[in-house]
Amino acid sequence: MKNLSESLSSKPLLSWLLFGSTAALVIALLALAQTIQTRKVESEFRGKPLGELANFEARNEAFRKFFPKQFESYYSTKDTSFRSEYGGNEPRDMLEENPRMVVLWAGYAFSKDYKQGRGHYYAIEDIHKTLRTGGPLSPDSGPQPNTCWTCKSPDVPRLMEKTGPSDFYKGKWASKGSEVQNTIGCVDCHDPKSMNLRLSRPALKEAFARQGKNILESTHQEMRSLVCAQCHVEYYFKKGPDSIANLTFPWDSGLTVEAMEKYYDNSGFKDWIHKISKAPMLKAQHPDYEVYKLGIHARRGVACADCHMPFVSEGGQKYTSHKIQSPLNHISTSCQVCHRESEKELIANVNERHKSVSEIKQYLEDELVKAHYEAGKAWELGSTEEEMKQILAYIRQAQWRWDFGAAGHGSAFHAPLETARLLGSGLNKAKDARLALRTLLDKKGFSGEVSLPDISTKAKAQEAIGLKMEVLKMEKQKFIETILPQWKAEARQKGVLDPQSP
Amino acid sequence: MKKLLNFVKFFIPPARWRLPVLLALGIFTGTVLYLIPTSKALSYLSDKPETCINCHIMTPQYTTWKHSSHSRVTNCNDCHVPHTSTIDKYSFKARDGLRHSALFTLRKEREVIVIEPEGRAVVQQNCIRCHENQFHKSTENFRDTQTKAERTCWSCHREVPHGKVRSLSIAPFALTEEKP
Repeated sequence: MKNLSESLSSKPLLSWLLFGSTAALVIALLALAQTIQTRKVESEFRGKPLGELANFEARNEAFRKFFPKQFESYYSTKDTSFRSEYGGNEPRDMLEENPRMVVLWAGYAFSKDYKQGRGHYYAIEDIHKTLRTGGPLSPDSGPQPNTCWTCKSPDVPRLMEKTGPSDFYKGKWASKGSEVQNTIGCVDCHDPKSMNLRLSRPALKEAFARQGKNILESTHQEMRSLVCAQCHVEYYFKKGPDSIANLTFPWDSGLTVEAMEKYYDNSGFKDWIHKISKAPMLKAQHPDYEVYKLGIHARRGVACADCHMPFVSEGGQKYTSHKIQSPLNHISTSCQVCHRESEKELIANVNERHKSVSEIKQYLEDELVKAHYEAGKAWELGSTEEEMKQILAYIRQAQWRWDFGAAGHGSAFHAPLETARLLGSGLNKAKDARLALRTLLDKKGFSGEVSLPDISTKAKAQEAIGLKMEVLKMEKQKFIETILPQWKAEARQKGVLDPQSP
Repeated sequence: MKKLLNFVKFFIPPARWRLPVLLALGIFTGTVLYLIPTSKALSYLSDKPETCINCHIMTPQYTTWKHSSHSRVTNCNDCHVPHTSTIDKYSFKARDGLRHSALFTLRKEREVIVIEPEGRAVVQQNCIRCHENQFHKSTENFRDTQTKAERTCWSCHREVPHGKVRSLSIAPFALTEEKP
């Protein structure tokens, strides 16, 4: 065997190789030393003190330099790549996945367009683009009032501070397009002087006051849910003088599905008249907070933020992750802090709750679709208001329960037993409605089955309930092309938007 | 013997290469020597619990242990490395330590760290090592962590000694001043 020296003298390339690899090794070792030094120092680093910020500084970017980790994690709600079995942050088309909902909401805006909510980053973009807000081409046209902005932006408390809530709610949605431009952000939950949690909107405070409770006495742990409960709740627009739509939570008799129903019944409120059955309907919005309150995690004192905004450590620095999302995307940071089971096992536990609840939900949807069409048939056969009254009440009650269980995407996990109970009670009401309808139809001399239209896809279901989707989409497109750029330009000119904002 | 000599000879550079080779080796050795105190490499040969918080990942584990009754009689190694022989002890420690340092360097640590199956078996054996006299017929099958690994002492004694709540973030500022 030749020795290395001889090989080297005959092969200059080998010398270079040896030289190069030694150099690379030394570089790697120095790099390791460097990271060890960095990691020692980084855990000592603390955030910069807060500068001067306005009481309702709505431009989120103003907070970036003071709270870089919180800010970056918050703006990473831009991510729409996570899809769990029953949810996630993709804009899943819920009507496409379940066209029965088109029929259930016939005559109401949700039958036009309903998608799985994306992250807070998209709050403004999504309310601009949903068909539910229509395509208003002037400030005083369009189907929705300004109240629809209430939960979408820190510009809302900024404007309310100036004019008061009533003046904010007044007028059509299109009239505040250039003022409400920043997406949900820092001052929606924080006081910029101290960064303590703060309630920025009146409806929750008013609901507490009407129940005789002082919301200012809430503990910090309660506040970690209450800031979310400013929006993630069941609400309605209570018509005030000048037909101002006041955002109101129907909590006066309690937070359960029956208590809120009693509240609505007492005030004779309805969200809309169903297009097929003519029933006076209620739409549950997203009673996430109320349903969560009835679950075991709330009973044990776990707050929304504990699971949806867990503490994380990066480089020895602890901060609250502001990437608010489904904890199924970070089982380790949320569930496993308390639960010792494997990630796979915990996800399976969540999904089996969803599976069981969604099974009952589907039975109820089937019954409701039939009940609406059978009621339609009963009207057709000349039934009187008096004959229909109780039937329509059953339909209203049954669908209110269905919507209450369906509208919050996490209900089957937040309170599986309560959600199953209320869907079960809804199923009972729907059966009552159909039993009464059968008797009535027989009385009117109709003994067969009421035929249902083809609602196997979203498009077919929308056609069946008589929606002119092409017109709606065209209106929206025109609005997106002409009005949205105007709003944005005006907002930039007025300084509503930060120059760095997307 | 002759083979070994040949092997050494293979690496001896020719005369005109000696100086650069010496310089290169010097740089290399110097870097390694510099890394030893920087990474506190020698502390890893000891049983001192502070070694385990050289990096900050284990601070919550250190803190919870420190405040538990186990801190009066045990250190980390009493429970977390095998005591069957010195070779077992150091080879386990080396494997475990290399895994930890690699994960830490690459920032691959999970927010909630979970003990590996090998580590579970070791801890279980060490529970038994000290608490032998507390063993009862009914708990006899807890000895065999290989086949009956689903039951361990801490299946019931869940809070011993690191507490119920686990995360890198539960005690992030604890005792930075106590670090060695």
